[in-house]
Amino acid sequence: MSCPNFNTILMSQDEIDILKQQLAKETAARIALESQLLEMNNRFEDSKNFLQLGCESIVDAFLIMDLTGNILNMNESARKILNLKENGIGYNLMAMVNANDFEKVSFSFKQLLKEGILTNFELKITTPLQQEKIVHINANVVYENGEAIAAQGIIRDITKEKEAEEKLVESENRLATVISNLDKGILLEDENRNIIVTNSKFCEFFNIPLKPEQMVGYDCRAAAEQAKHLFKESDAFVDRIEEIIDGCEMVLGEELEMTDGRVFERDYVPVFRDGEHKGHLWTYKDFTLRRQYRENLDQERLKYRNVITKMSLGLVEVDLQDCITVANENFLRMSGYSSEELMGLDAKNLFKFDQKFMEEKRENRDQGLTDSYEIKMITKAGEERDWLVSVAPNYDSTGNMIGSIGIHLDITDVKSLEREKVNLLEALERSNNELEEYAHIVSHDLKSPLRSINALVSWIKDDNKGTLDAPTIQNLGLIETTLERMEHLISDILAYSSVGFYENEKEPVDTQEIVQDLIQILYIPEHITIYILKPLPVVFGHKTKIQQLFQNLISNAIKFIDKDKGLIYISVEELDDCYQFSIQDNGMGIEKKFHNKIFKVFHALKKSDESTGIGLSIVQKIVELHNGKIWLESKPNKGTTFLFTIKKGSNGTA
Amino acid sequence: MNPPLNILLIEDDAIEIMKLHRAISSLNLSHNIIEAHHGEEALEILEQKDNLPDIILLDLNMPKINGIEFLSILKNNDILKYVPTIILTTSSNQKDLLECYKIGVAGYVLKPLKYDEYVSKIENLLKYWSMNELIKL
Repeated sequence: MSCPNFNTILMSQDEIDILKQQLAKETAARIALESQLLEMNNRFEDSKNFLQLGCESIVDAFLIMDLTGNILNMNESARKILNLKENGIGYNLMAMVNANDFEKVSFSFKQLLKEGILTNFELKITTPLQQEKIVHINANVVYENGEAIAAQGIIRDITKEKEAEEKLVESENRLATVISNLDKGILLEDENRNIIVTNSKFCEFFNIPLKPEQMVGYDCRAAAEQAKHLFKESDAFVDRIEEIIDGCEMVLGEELEMTDGRVFERDYVPVFRDGEHKGHLWTYKDFTLRRQYRENLDQERLKYRNVITKMSLGLVEVDLQDCITVANENFLRMSGYSSEELMGLDAKNLFKFDQKFMEEKRENRDQGLTDSYEIKMITKAGEERDWLVSVAPNYDSTGNMIGSIGIHLDITDVKSLEREKVNLLEALERSNNELEEYAHIVSHDLKSPLRSINALVSWIKDDNKGTLDAPTIQNLGLIETTLERMEHLISDILAYSSVGFYENEKEPVDTQEIVQDLIQILYIPEHITIYILKPLPVVFGHKTKIQQLFQNLISNAIKFIDKDKGLIYISVEELDDCYQFSIQDNGMGIEKKFHNKIFKVFHALKKSDESTGIGLSIVQKIVELHNGKIWLESKPNKGTTFLFTIKKGSNGTA
Repeated sequence: MNPPLNILLIEDDAIEIMKLHRAISSLNLSHNIIEAHHGEEALEILEQKDNLPDIILLDLNMPKINGIEFLSILKNNDILKYVPTIILTTSSNQKDLLECYKIGVAGYVLKPLKYDEYVSKIENLLKYWSMNELIKL
């Protein structure tokens, strides 16, 4: 404003008024400007305070950083979360970001700059103390003169919350897995009967062509109506659901029969929260197999009960003190006692055992062993019977031994047959021995007189030398010949009756050796030759009997050769289960009609001094003792072939 | 010439006894024969310990005590068990033969049918025992 000159004093009043008005205007504008300036100044001061000091007074973790991430300021809470010592100013926050998250951070930061604000940003960081933390950040940009200069934000450590949250998710997942894999159908409804959760088993059970997730929210009233045709008693099914829900109490183990034959067991549990009815939990179990099992089991049980009751074996159950607890009909019949008489009776008293035997059997049972043995039983009528017993330990359903079960078979008849057999065998052996003794005694007693007669005849001849006439000498000679035949006969009868008396003394016998020895020993006339056509085998038998067999047959062949040149062939054929020997001669032959007769005792076809008619009988007996057969092929005047077999033993010999 | 033998013949058959006598005399031998017709009689004779026989000829088939029982008695006697005992029998029974050798015999001779053979066997038997050294009590 310039100094007012004189001229201006001389201004008109109008001019003064205009000037006054102008001044007032200018003054007002200045005042307004000044206050504006003041306000600006204050605001600036405020923001300056805010930037520099104000943050300390905030309880939440508060941090300001510049746009490159360097910390400009923060409060104590923030330092605690970030594990920063001192004031931490100048620390670059990017150092805490994990490499994996750089992109995420960069994206969010750009968003922050663009929007001016960033909320609910969660980030995993690694503090300078190498602690991993999850932080939650709400941030905004700080502008100066319309330009972003910094970012400030509230930080929360949500590591624990996150962990809890993760655990919750995990356990929810687990629960969901459990529910979806349950072999029960699950249906959870809310109080309005809308589905909250169900599982695939449920859908499968009731042929619902949806995924469990798709069922959520579905009205169960409608569902029940739709599904009721699956149940045998459709209306009752729906009514019962209403009834149960109204009752609002747990209902377990109800059975539902389906039209397709399946059976379900249903449990109902009402769900309450804070005493308020909040829903219904239904579980369905497929009971079809179990029920079938149960029915089968009942059937089996019935069947076996019938078997046990009716079977011809006596069954008894005893407890650990050997007291009878169960006896079937047949046991009563076998023992002669009534059920009342037997119950509680000590089973030991029924049977005759010696003490040691009893203890042994008891020990076996206590060890859980199954055992069978014979016992003597005295029936109520006092009769002694033999029983065969099979005893097994008896357990209750938890596996504790509670006694034993015995099955009894009356074997008295079998036993007496067995005893009879033993007695018979013994008697047979005795009588065999006696017979042999007898044969020897008879033979001795018969031969003694012959010897005496022979001695006497010989003395008569001696004492009367020269005085006897020719016919007398001839007659005395005939007496001697007759005595010899008689002795021969007695020896043969003895031999025949002795065959088979030493049955159990079989051994490997070399028939080649036997026949070769016989050819050496036997008297063979000059005109007869014996040929062994094949090597003879080793057979299993009685050596002396087999020797006698060959001796008799060879002697027989020699005896009946009437040709000038006698031929005897001995041979063998190996068959599947036996050796077939043959002894062939070119003698007088035997007529067909005599073929069977010649093996009979005393049926000699040609009576002679040497022939008693017993030789072939002995042969047949020996062959039969060796499980063989004997027969002959013959043509009168051409010759005879005797054939016989000796059965092979298991070891390749006969 | 060997000294004659004292022979105890235990035999129930009269003709058998005659046969031995006759055989010895026809062989011109001077052996002394003591006869016993059964086991008990023989045991009585054998009680005279100062006059024991040199050998015993024993038949198996005898009444009362049979030959094998008699043999057992002999062999259980501390003195008599040393007297050589020869069985002279008709029994070709294998069981008898085994039993006799088991108890202990000095010989087992089968009586043949023919008297001539008998004489020949007796001759050999006596010749054999005459030549043996015998225990003289």
